[in-house]
Amino acid sequence: MGSIIAVISGKGGVGKTTTTANVGLGIAINGKRCVVVDFDIGQRNLDMILGLENRVVFDIVQVMDGEASVKQALIKSKFNENLFFLAASQTKDKSVLDSQKIKTLVEDLKNEFDYVILDAPAGIESGYEHTIEFADSAIIVVNPEVSSIRDADRAIGILDSKSQKVKDGKEVVKYLIINRIDPKMVQSGEMLTSEDILDILSIPLIGKVPEDRGIIDASNQGKPIIMDKNSPAGQAYKRISIRICGEMVPMEDIESVQAGFIDKIKGIFK
Amino acid sequence: MQTKQSSVKVCEVTITDENEFIAFFDTNYNLFKDYLIVINGDMSEEIKEYMNTKGLSFLQNVTLPKGKSRKPIEQELENEKAKYLEAKKQFEDELSKLSTPKVVAPEPVEQRDLKVLDSLIRSGQELNIEGDLLLLNRVNSGAKIVIDGNLIITQIVDGAIRCNGNFMMLKASPKANIVFHNVEVDNSYLQNRLNRVELKNNEIVVTPVLKGTNWEV
Repeated sequence: MGSIIAVISGKGGVGKTTTTANVGLGIAINGKRCVVVDFDIGQRNLDMILGLENRVVFDIVQVMDGEASVKQALIKSKFNENLFFLAASQTKDKSVLDSQKIKTLVEDLKNEFDYVILDAPAGIESGYEHTIEFADSAIIVVNPEVSSIRDADRAIGILDSKSQKVKDGKEVVKYLIINRIDPKMVQSGEMLTSEDILDILSIPLIGKVPEDRGIIDASNQGKPIIMDKNSPAGQAYKRISIRICGEMVPMEDIESVQAGFIDKIKGIFK
Repeated sequence: MQTKQSSVKVCEVTITDENEFIAFFDTNYNLFKDYLIVINGDMSEEIKEYMNTKGLSFLQNVTLPKGKSRKPIEQELENEKAKYLEAKKQFEDELSKLSTPKVVAPEPVEQRDLKVLDSLIRSGQELNIEGDLLLLNRVNSGAKIVIDGNLIITQIVDGAIRCNGNFMMLKASPKANIVFHNVEVDNSYLQNRLNRVELKNNEIVVTPVLKGTNWEV
């Protein structure tokens, strides 16, 4: 019996889909069977980031409506055989989602996989509520800036009141990922520090991801950044995936500026 | 109509002996040449001619307004002012009777139904509390607490507070939006670890409580 993880943020553009793709692939690399599901009906993106856009035949709406079986709709990743992908519909909108159908689908996926990762849409509307409804745990992605924090706070509030687990008297496990940290900006006090964010949201931190210019190129090429061994963001996602699988990895300090080779030479001549 | 005001010096005379009168004005001409001469009683043609030749302006048998000294004038002004104030007060009383039915203010209750909460108040959550509240956790940006009793919050407040109790005790919270008895509290007054906010004579009074206490622990 697998576990359902919803990836949420409240605000758009903070890196939910990138996180979903990379964490999913990271878990698969760890040898666990994993499926990533795009719940952003009408605005699917996950297929592009995974490099599978030309492989989509059936989508999640067709599966829920019984037009295709789960097995037919699942697409195997080209990077790892443990990772599968279920696409969102690009032509329908969020109103087609229905609790009972979602429940049947996620139960099926849970039986088949160790981890079921749901990529939530931005916002806190019905699409978001359906994504978190049957989640066992949630990954909350934030950027170190106030609007992202407030929106995430609101999203957590809804998670704590509307998910099925909470209604059953249990608690949804929450993990925080602070994404797009710019060490220089943190040092100069322009960005919120991790401590501030943890104070405000008071949920456990599972990883910090530094700002990485390579992510844009990785997304464009459909090759998740975790495949790039030299990328700091990719390495951060790798550590996060291992932590989700239950192993302890020490938290890396990405907020202090490491002086590069050229900076060191400049320092000599100062 | 055009009016012009000027004050003139007046010399009132009653003529008994015409020669004496002429002699008096001959000798004191320089003194009286700018005066208005008011003659009470009869005056002969000779006197009139004498006055005209000398160029003295005069009037006959005029009742002059009696000048008043300063004190009675001030007294009168005072009385008028008092009357005006009285009337104004009466008018205002009537007005207030018309607009607001008289409400008997409830006796302030010292303390009732104290609730103790240790949960984080997240964005979008709104607490409506009847009675008092002791909150041991943060109030995040976008959250709101509406309370009619007393309020104590030991952690930082980034959200909104509407309190109508006897007092609030709050940490220094620069981002909070605090309204106490419909008056917005200036965050810059909340500078200490814990501040007591009260309403005294319709004025918001902020007093520091426990200056050095560290509530983070």
